[in-house]
Order: sequence, then C-alpha cells, then structure tokens
Amino acid sequence: MWGQYSYGLLVVLAGGVIAFLALATEGDDLHKLLLLGLVEIPSLGVIALLGTDLAEALILPGLTVGIAEQLALSQIYCTKEKILQNPVKGLSIEVIAKADAPLIISIFLVGYGLILSGFTGGGVAGLGLVFFFMSRGYREDLNLLEMASGISWALWIFSFFVFMFLPQYWFVALIGAAVGIVLKVTTKMSLVGTMWGNDND
Amino acid sequence: MTNLAGVPYYILEFGDELVYFTPYTITLFLLALTFTIFVLISRPERQVDIAFGGDAYTTKVISVSEMRFRRFMAIACGLASMGAMVTGDIFNFTLFTAMVGITNVGIVAAVKSPHVQNAAYQYGLVALSATVPLFGGAAVYAAATGSLSMIELAKGSLPAVPFVAKAFLVLGVIGEGMAPFYAAKAEMFRAPGAPYVIMCSLSSLLIFLRVMEVVMLG
Repeated sequence: MWGQYSYGLLVVLAGGVIAFLALATEGDDLHKLLLLGLVEIPSLGVIALLGTDLAEALILPGLTVGIAEQLALSQIYCTKEKILQNPVKGLSIEVIAKADAPLIISIFLVGYGLILSGFTGGGVAGLGLVFFFMSRGYREDLNLLEMASGISWALWIFSFFVFMFLPQYWFVALIGAAVGIVLKVTTKMSLVGTMWGNDND
Repeated sequence: MTNLAGVPYYILEFGDELVYFTPYTITLFLLALTFTIFVLISRPERQVDIAFGGDAYTTKVISVSEMRFRRFMAIACGLASMGAMVTGDIFNFTLFTAMVGITNVGIVAAVKSPHVQNAAYQYGLVALSATVPLFGGAAVYAAATGSLSMIELAKGSLPAVPFVAKAFLVLGVIGEGMAPFYAAKAEMFRAPGAPYVIMCSLSSLLIFLRVMEVVMLG
C-alpha cells in the first residue's frame, strides 16, 4: 500500500511541478488565473490519494476554498481591467432555443441526478437545469428557487439534529438529508447559472 | 502531552475535531479577538497626500459602502484568525489559513486604485497557489500518521510525521502572507484605511506563530 501511495504522490507532485513551471513562465494575468485552476488539481489529487472516506470529506472544503479564491480573484481581475460593465447573456443560439434536445438532455440529467441523490446527484441535476435555462434564455422569478433552496437546506440541517439527538430514527434522517442536499445543490446551481449578470433579481 | 505548548486548560471535543486552549493558543486567541473588536468599533483613517513644494495637502475620502465592505472583510479575517488559533485539527487549521488569505485580499480589493488592485491580484495568485502545499501537507499528515488531531499527534504514540509534510505546511503558510511574499502585500498597504489594513499583517503574524507550534507536534 505504501509503495502505491508513494508512486501516486510522485506522479501528482510531478504534475504540480509542471503546472507551477507553466505558471512561472506565463506573463498574461488572465492566463495565470486559468493556470491556477490547473494547479489546484494536484492539491486535490494529494488529498484523494488517501483513498478513504476522510479524503472525500476533506476534498469538499478544499475544493470550496479553491473555488472561493478563484471567484474572488476573477472579480478583482474584472475590476482591475475595468470590464465590469459587460452584461452576461445566455447562450443565444437560435437552433438550440427552438429544438427539443435541451429539454430531453435536461430531463435525463435531472432524472439521473435524482437517482444518484446526495451531493453528486444535486450537482448533476443542477447542471441539467443550468443547461436548460441557458439554452432557452429562461427568465423567471428566482425568489421561488431561492426559497426552495433555503427550505431544503433547513431540512438537511434538521436531519443532522436528528442524527445527533435521536439516533434511533437514523433512516428518516438519512432520507431527509439526502433529499435536502439534492434539492439544495440543484437549486443553488441553477441559481448560479441564471442569476449572474441579470437585472431581474 | 509534552509537545503542546503547555497543558490545555480546556478541550472542547467534537469527536476528532476538537478545539483546545493552552496558555499559548489562548494568548494568540485573545490578541486576535482584541484586534477584531478594535476593527469593529474604530473608524477608518483618512490618508493624507501632501503636495511637494507647497503647503497644500488633501485627505482621501472613503465612501461608506467601501468602508462597510472592508470592515466586514477585516472582521471575517479576525474570525478566521481566531479559528486558526484554537483549532486542534490540522486540516481545519489549513482551511482557516486559506480563509485568512482570501480575506486579506478582500480587505484591500474594494479600493478603487489601480496599483492597489494590481498588488492585491498578484498577492491573490500567490495565496491561491499556496493552497497546494498547504492542503497537500495536511493530506500527507493524515496519510503518514492516520490522524489529523493535534492532541493525538502530541501524545507521541503515532508514527512520526515526515519532514516533507511539515515543510509543505510551512511553505503553504508562508505563501499565504509571510516573507518573501510579503513584498507583494507591502504594496497593498498603500491602500487607505488603517485599522483594516493592519488586520492583514496581524493575521499573518498570528498564523505564523501558530504554525510554529503545529510543526513541533509529532
């Protein structure tokens, strides 16, 4: 086991060194930011090499912090280069907007996400909704989605309290947490896809 | 528990994720708390520009929205520092350190001055790339010893922590705001607004003092 881990570590660190070399020779600020996204991957790789449940639990906060830093940096980049005034538009491709394909793909993704359940399922289902909204140029009152996200989050937290204080009802809590997180991630992701750059907030 | 900096007065247990207060960590915690309260109640300084060759001087005006955002970021930075001071979990320590890095950028990011923005961006790039050795170090800690708990590591019954893990951890913390990357931060300090900017340097100092304790474990 140690042999495999060491070789894996070596490969990941070699990947990291290559990414850092690219970063060191890159001159353009935007390209540096994009390369940093690549640099983040070896750090997740090092954690993933643990190969246990702990690794899974550690990757999530690591990923979140990485994404938060990238979002912050990209905002600073926009301010720095004074490109804040460009409104973000959806995919305005006419062929897609009229066809049934986005609907079918979205239904498939949402259905598959619901079957997967949990955080991964929420991600897949959310991706389906994002794709649908973007291809249709969908405009809707987003307060309803925000409310659904908040309620499902409360359900998730409530399930955790059941785990802690009423462990004999663990099955109800498990189902509650799974449904809560799948709804929360789905609605959150579709909000991320539709809210930015729109004035219908 | 010979390697911890003093015998813990109090250990708050959440399973493995524990928080402990030794004389050392409680001192650092109180320092972070005091400065966070200072930030909370103080008003921003108004930077003075003096025109050479004359008696003229101007004070820069800080808008309320900018002041609010920077105060919020400074308080968040103080909270992250406090968390990093008292946590007993290596991975939580790295997460708090990364959060200090983000909030340090945030404290100066609201300033609409090109050179401050540029310095903040460059420092942010360094801070973001420093998360690689930071999280990598914590992962090697877990892989080599099987535990991320500082209390367990201090007992000395676990396998020794490899040197590379400690080196990664220190490298990561250095990247989040120590020398030699401090040069990039120095440029950020040209941003007006004294109490908030001081939080940048104070949090770096505290994190540095704390990582010294962490690397002496195990």
